[in-house]
Amino acid sequence: MEYLVHTVVLVSIYAVQAMSLNLLIGETGLVSVAQAAFAGIGAYAAVVLMTIMGVNFFVASLIGALAAGTVAFIVGIIFLPLRQVYYILGTVGFNVIAWSVFLNWNEVTKGSLGIAGIPRPVVFGYALSENAAFLVLCLVSVACVYGISALITRSSLGRVLHAIREDEDAVAVFGYATTHYKVFIFVVAAFIAGYAGALFASYLSYISPTNYIVPESIFALSIVILGGLGSAHGAIVAAFLLVVLPEVLRFVGFPSELAGHLRLMSYGLILIFFMLYLPKGLFGKFRI
Amino acid sequence: MEVIIQIALNALVAGSIYALITLGFNLLYSTTRFFDLSYGAIAAVGGYIVYCLYNLLGLNLYAAIVLGILGAGALGFSCEKLIYRQLRARKASSAVLLIASLGVLLVIQSALAILFTSQFHIITRDLSAERVFTIFGGTITEVQAIIFLSAITIMLALGALLKFTRFGKAVQAIADDEEVANVVGINSEKMIGIVYFIGAAIAGAAGIATAFDTGIMPTLGLAILLKGVIAAIVGGIGNVVGGVLGAFVLAAIENTGAWFFSAEWRDVIAFLVLIAFLLLRPRGILPK
Amino acid sequence: MNNTIVWVVVALLAIGGLWWLATSGSGGTPVQTEGPFKIGVIAPLTGDGAIYGEPMRNVLVIAAEELNAMDAATTDDIELVIEDGKCDGTGGASAAQKLVNVDKVQAILGGFCSGETIPSVPIAAAGKVVLFSPSASSPALTGISPYFFRNYPSDSKQGEVLADVANKKGYKTIAFLTEQTDYATGLYNSFKTSFEALGGTVTNEEFPTANTDFRSTITKVKAAAPDAVFISTQTPQAAERILKQMSELGYKPQLFVSDVTMGEPELLMKNKALLEGAIGAEFVPDTANAKLSALMAKYKAKYGKDMPYIGYMSTTYDAAYAIVDGIKAVGYSGEALAAWSRTIANWEGASGATTIGANGDRVSGHKAEIVKDGKATLLTL
Repeated sequence: MEYLVHTVVLVSIYAVQAMSLNLLIGETGLVSVAQAAFAGIGAYAAVVLMTIMGVNFFVASLIGALAAGTVAFIVGIIFLPLRQVYYILGTVGFNVIAWSVFLNWNEVTKGSLGIAGIPRPVVFGYALSENAAFLVLCLVSVACVYGISALITRSSLGRVLHAIREDEDAVAVFGYATTHYKVFIFVVAAFIAGYAGALFASYLSYISPTNYIVPESIFALSIVILGGLGSAHGAIVAAFLLVVLPEVLRFVGFPSELAGHLRLMSYGLILIFFMLYLPKGLFGKFRI
Repeated sequence: MEVIIQIALNALVAGSIYALITLGFNLLYSTTRFFDLSYGAIAAVGGYIVYCLYNLLGLNLYAAIVLGILGAGALGFSCEKLIYRQLRARKASSAVLLIASLGVLLVIQSALAILFTSQFHIITRDLSAERVFTIFGGTITEVQAIIFLSAITIMLALGALLKFTRFGKAVQAIADDEEVANVVGINSEKMIGIVYFIGAAIAGAAGIATAFDTGIMPTLGLAILLKGVIAAIVGGIGNVVGGVLGAFVLAAIENTGAWFFSAEWRDVIAFLVLIAFLLLRPRGILPK
Repeated sequence: MNNTIVWVVVALLAIGGLWWLATSGSGGTPVQTEGPFKIGVIAPLTGDGAIYGEPMRNVLVIAAEELNAMDAATTDDIELVIEDGKCDGTGGASAAQKLVNVDKVQAILGGFCSGETIPSVPIAAAGKVVLFSPSASSPALTGISPYFFRNYPSDSKQGEVLADVANKKGYKTIAFLTEQTDYATGLYNSFKTSFEALGGTVTNEEFPTANTDFRSTITKVKAAAPDAVFISTQTPQAAERILKQMSELGYKPQLFVSDVTMGEPELLMKNKALLEGAIGAEFVPDTANAKLSALMAKYKAKYGKDMPYIGYMSTTYDAAYAIVDGIKAVGYSGEALAAWSRTIANWEGASGATTIGANGDRVSGHKAEIVKDGKATLLTL
């Protein structure tokens, strides 16, 4: 039972992150390989506040998410005006830089030692140390992010984003400052990812730079591709599939040495397969 | 003074390996117009084939090297034929191809990890028998000198091939405009297949060089490819000579940076160089 | 909009259902009195730590077989439940979660790496499961929880011993090449603290694990001409790479190495020219110890290769035997075992006499060694 709770917690955190990436890729057509970096910024900022200054989780995670959003603002302004492929490379580069900073900035992040003893959130004096209680917070988060996502998609903002995805130049001709919209959604996505990062850190009670390397961003990308672009519920389903599958492998008795590599290999195969035959993903409405 | 010479020599050796990657990458990019992120993994495959044949099975070293290069070439050729060709036929966007190549990267990397474990491997030879040359107070080993000379040779050979042979002219025609090239009777599909083979073979050579010099591990692919891409952009993407120049420039900056700062910031420096060029001079030092 | 409302309702129902299920589950479980007793294991089976995790698992399998074969009765048998900690925080936490909450073990042997052990401690403590590591040496684990103990000494001892040796030999400046992992960085920190207290100075060049080209860093260190260079890496292979590049650059300083390197006889032999005179400190058991030599012979017979990392493997073997002794003494209960662990004194094992202090650390430390002719020999000053 507890293990099921643990799995669902992981699924919901990855789902939140995937939904944020879906806002970028699915709605706006901006491929990004840096969500893990923003999750890391949110996580480290929140964790430092929680462990050193004793700030409570909700305030700390909010500040963490804001930190991620702020960095995203700067990164967005630099990279978003570039041509698509260069912009994607730029996000990869940013992820590497962010990870290096997490690893090297020993004074704040303690580098490879990581930060342990991160407390669980405290709600009205009641600590969410029970995983089941933490799960409630996660599910509420999923619902909220889903709601935000739906709100954006159905609003006039969403329509502009979709138009940018289809044909950015045409939209620009009509007088829309497309870069402003792109930067805005980039910041929103980073904000949500930052919150997901803080949530994850509090759950594990420990973070280290290895959680935020480039392959983690690729993992987030494959969830969105699998789930389908432009579909928030697709992202949730895909997160479920891609998180549960390796756990199932644990039980099926796969030789554990191979399990980790097979998992990565399956992500790669998913990307290839879906790009070739199902570019819309499982539930998607659009293709890149 | 001695130190500067040594750093310069270090940069020459590192630059040679980057140059090989950039050469092949530019060759592929100019004909297919997409960023193949799996290119680096193919380099790793070349290195592993030699490691497997020479260290594990005891084959003759030169035979192993030849097989390694051919093997890498064959792998690249197959990827092109099975995956990328179909995507290009569907006029898929470059983002789709990039994501598919990410998938290929993950699959190749995981396969290597399963077969060889994720440890570093170095192609062993008797260290005490290795000759060391001293040039103006800096030292360089025999192997490193061979790597440098091989890189220059391959570069010159490729340049001659492209410039003076009919094949080379056909490749340039495709690079200029694929449709027109088809109209005048050049079978672009077949040519691209051959170009991919050559490019992948060069990557294999780079991987083998790395295996001799610093050692290989399965995750080498993405790291070295990113350096190659940075070098290509710095030197001028699509420009073969520019790419090589960019490779040496990048290596020089990295090694000087390691001297002034610390090795821990090496990747950050490389990516900051990338960002600087993307923003200020996206066409590189020697635009096409 | 309706769609969203439906989703929210579904979500709330799901939350309610799960809450009800979760809180109605666990009553009080009576202490298990008869075997087979499940013993959890967290070891790095994949990733960079697999070179340690694989032999660790092999040794535990041997120990379990021996323990179970001691008598025909199965009521005191143990059953190993092995999980992959991946030598990192997320892996360790997930493994601990499964072992504590699904398999409901009362004792876990592991993790091997400090990286997978540190986050497992709060999970084990919350589940009242005792966590017993045979090798995690990070100073951060000292006194971390009453539910954690280890029969391997903390790295702070290693740093102290080596700082003392360096000081006695008259070295004033030591340059470090430190891999950015918790173990290697922990060693650097402890050496630095001790050495600076003795009046020396330490410089540090850090590098991420994926770094392979050290030439310019070595050039920089060489130009600064320190009295000695300390190579603190996570794996012996990384140290070998640095040594090779140092020799290519014609730099042969006095070397200090971490215990992972000192503990690799093959590597010492292969690089004996480069490592001649290198100093390190190891927690090294006596190979003449009867239990240890029996283990090594058995390992070779069963797996066809020499047992690597003798220091770590001796403590791993001991851990299995010790925990079984604990179960016999106080029963199969994490809480009882945790209290019992602090009473371990002069317990004889393959790694020698073991005493666990009040802070959960093994009382006894590292010994200084020097490489002579490709072998690690005790250093006498």
